[in-house]
Amino acid sequence: MTAPVRASLMVTCLGDMLFPEVGVSMVRLLRRLGVAVDFPRGQTCCGLPLFNSGYQAHAARVAARTVEIFKESEHVVVPSGSCAWMVKHEYPGLLRASALREAAARLAGRTYELSQFLVRVLGTTEFQSAVGGRVTYHDSCHLLRGLHESESPRTILRRLKGAEFVELPGADECCGFGGSFAVRLPEVSSGILDKKLENVAATGASCLVACDAGCLMQMGGGLSRRRSPVRTLHLAELLDGSRT
Amino acid sequence: MTTREEFLSRIRAEMLKTGGLFPASPAPRPSDPRAVAETLRRQLAEHWPGALERFRREFERVGGVLYRAASLEDVPRVVAGIAREREARRLVAWHPSALGGDLGPALAARGLEPLAMPPGEVGDAHERGRLRQAIADAEIGLTGVDLAIAETGTLVLRSGPGRPRSTSLLPPYHVAVFDRTALIESLSQVGVLLELWHRDELETAAVISFITGPSRTADIELTLTRGVHGPKEVHAIFVEREIRG
Amino acid sequence: MSEGDLSVPFRRRAGSAMKDAQLQEALTIATTKFIGLRREAFEEFPDGETLRDQAREIKEATLQSLDRYLEQLIDNIERRGGRVHYATTPEEARAVVLDIARRTGARMAVKSKSMASEEIHLNEALEAAGVTPVETDLGEYIIQLAHERPSHIIAPAIHKTKEQVADLFAKELKREVAADPEVLTRIARVELREKFLTADLGITGANFAVADTGTVVLVTNEGNGRMVTALPRVHVAVMGVEKIVPSMTDLMVFLAILAKSATGQKFSVYTTLVQGPRRAGELEGPEEFHLVLLDNGRIRQLAGPLRESLSCLRCGACLNVCPVYRQIGGHAYGYTYPGPIGILLTAMLNGPESVKDLAHASSLCGACVDACPVRIDIPRMLIELRREVDEKKIAPWTERVVFRALATLLLSRHLYRWSGPIARLLQRPFARAGVIRHLPFFFGDWTRTRDLPAVAPRTFRERWDGMERGS
Repeated sequence: MTAPVRASLMVTCLGDMLFPEVGVSMVRLLRRLGVAVDFPRGQTCCGLPLFNSGYQAHAARVAARTVEIFKESEHVVVPSGSCAWMVKHEYPGLLRASALREAAARLAGRTYELSQFLVRVLGTTEFQSAVGGRVTYHDSCHLLRGLHESESPRTILRRLKGAEFVELPGADECCGFGGSFAVRLPEVSSGILDKKLENVAATGASCLVACDAGCLMQMGGGLSRRRSPVRTLHLAELLDGSRT
Repeated sequence: MTTREEFLSRIRAEMLKTGGLFPASPAPRPSDPRAVAETLRRQLAEHWPGALERFRREFERVGGVLYRAASLEDVPRVVAGIAREREARRLVAWHPSALGGDLGPALAARGLEPLAMPPGEVGDAHERGRLRQAIADAEIGLTGVDLAIAETGTLVLRSGPGRPRSTSLLPPYHVAVFDRTALIESLSQVGVLLELWHRDELETAAVISFITGPSRTADIELTLTRGVHGPKEVHAIFVEREIRG
Repeated sequence: MSEGDLSVPFRRRAGSAMKDAQLQEALTIATTKFIGLRREAFEEFPDGETLRDQAREIKEATLQSLDRYLEQLIDNIERRGGRVHYATTPEEARAVVLDIARRTGARMAVKSKSMASEEIHLNEALEAAGVTPVETDLGEYIIQLAHERPSHIIAPAIHKTKEQVADLFAKELKREVAADPEVLTRIARVELREKFLTADLGITGANFAVADTGTVVLVTNEGNGRMVTALPRVHVAVMGVEKIVPSMTDLMVFLAILAKSATGQKFSVYTTLVQGPRRAGELEGPEEFHLVLLDNGRIRQLAGPLRESLSCLRCGACLNVCPVYRQIGGHAYGYTYPGPIGILLTAMLNGPESVKDLAHASSLCGACVDACPVRIDIPRMLIELRREVDEKKIAPWTERVVFRALATLLLSRHLYRWSGPIARLLQRPFARAGVIRHLPFFFGDWTRTRDLPAVAPRTFRERWDGMERGS
């Protein structure tokens, strides 16, 4: 009998504070697939908000702390394309002059966004949908262009049992979140969001899925303000059959 | 005012501060463009029908119209047909030495008013002005062609004595005459020829014009319109028998 | 409001642009069309990706030997009878052109589209010196009549409806004009034809300059580039020093991808290779050819953080896909070059102060990199600019304090652990059934148009204990 796959959960700051159900669904989902899941305590944030606003020195200190916390992990799974991108692409550069340089490179190689982990590491692509009806998908920018992952989520969605997947027109267009951008230029951010939600409405989907808490906050926040019947779900929640 | 030396020293000073972003080289150049060009010429001597067909497709795609003529002597008939459809009569043409023959009499016989460009410069300013006005008033500009690029439907014209730029620019209808020796398949092959032409210190064209269809713009509401400043139609006549024997 | 008035804060300029319904419609139509055209062009072009990689490499290789290629270019231009001038600043560039105009007795200059000449504000200087500049690119002609600056790098009048253009022409010509693009184009053809034929001076930019041969390359569609370089007695080309390419072989790589990226055309209608003044024996052509090499902040970036933006081909593809540009258009940016690359170029030309707000006019989505023919990593450089703005204390101190506080929070296990319960306490007046619909102070910037999820009754870490044993 082979040793179980071990994975540490990097739940992300937004996930921890605002969308804990996503983390819970991830744990249930991964355990059902035979993965031994642990949660390194003390984790806070990957540092992306600091990095994107140009506070590189602060971001580097947060990166160093994160590298330490996850240094025993075999795999690190993240319910967020942007956080996974931060660890994989920016941590090595931020820490290139520090003693943690090798550890950062190792961590980068072992970190996966959730759909990447399911499809490319576990090789599992068939899931039962937690909701029925029509489902559509938004490509978050860091997952799509940073991690070059447009396929893994779609592989899962196309094979989803119990729901109908339709492509979102302009799925690859930004939702307008962009971190602090959403509050630095709120009018522009909202204008971009309007366009996204028009496209969502055009699909007739009852559920909008994404792999990034920031996008879900932005799009969910817009749908909620419009009192739209369309609900937003993280991919983890969509695939977690034990949800109600 | 900054001098050449000052300008270059500043650049050198900045260059010294960095190794660049990543290892990089320019595109590999043909070490013997003459040999490559010769090979291309031989290949095209056999494959020209395919190249012509491809040229036709791309040329029509950008709004050009292609005709065929048996020989240079047949060209006036085709030109007269184009002119008649547009009720055009005034025509300016490259000098016969540049065009490959004197088509003036045959064009005149078919009711057109042809004016050949002079073989060289014109010293008298008044005469130059008169010529310029004649070109501006002309309806058809008749030229030869140096290259016809199949990949994009592009005509390449070099400027020179007897082949002024305005012939293919000012009149609203541009008619270009070419034969199989002008055909070339791709942009990268054109690159080889450009390398070759410049190796010869004889490459003296002050301007090489690549012309891909009629003049156009979409600056107003992205609506496509033709004939902005340059010709509003481009016609190309492929001559079966080689023009210069 | 259609102009970028720098005394108005950027956020407000952006807000005004968003409320301009007709601008919004024009932007949507134009950018959507450009995106589709570009996509189709590359779909039919299997060599496209390889050529883009090669183009990127050629640009970098050129910068690595820039002095050598420049010397080659200069020598070749002079050998063919042209003259080269060196302008470190916009003032010098203007002075060179004015000097040529004065020496040759020019009273009217026809201009083919040149972003470099916009950058140095040449037209105003020409007018002040008694030389009438006439823009001949249709889009530039339109905005010249409107006394505006271009709002897009390649389609300068994209923000104008045909009715607005008709009004402009009617005012200029003092007669009724139909709002029909065909009619308007014909009018421009007639009006400008007369200018081409009588102008003393032709001024252009340059898309490329080939070092090996001394050739200056203009890529256009209308024919004005050819007119301007064939008919007037004097031709002056103003060109950023980074536009150099080593050889004709390199040139063809760029020509294969430039028009496809800009407008989706396989090739632009006119690609004009200018190799000096007219030759002996030619009926036409300028007696004098001048190339003005422009620095204006470019040389410093050879070793600077914005070096990669020196590869820009000025195709405008990044503008068309940028979610911010698509919302606010070009004028709101306030400077010569708008859109993603425009922010970097503005910083290059005007320093980090000029982009303290513009550096944040991006969600960092990366669509620009995907569209850029030479794959410039614009988001990376935007983050660099943000860093510079922070480090040089150009960002407001309040912001720096907030981010320092955030960092402190994220570095401390204990502070972070308490942030959940404290947030739940603070949000009590605002949270109903897990949703926050209104927040005070700057947080209201979110809640004005969007709901916000409340901090959860139990954060994930608080729930983990119950999950640890794998229930």
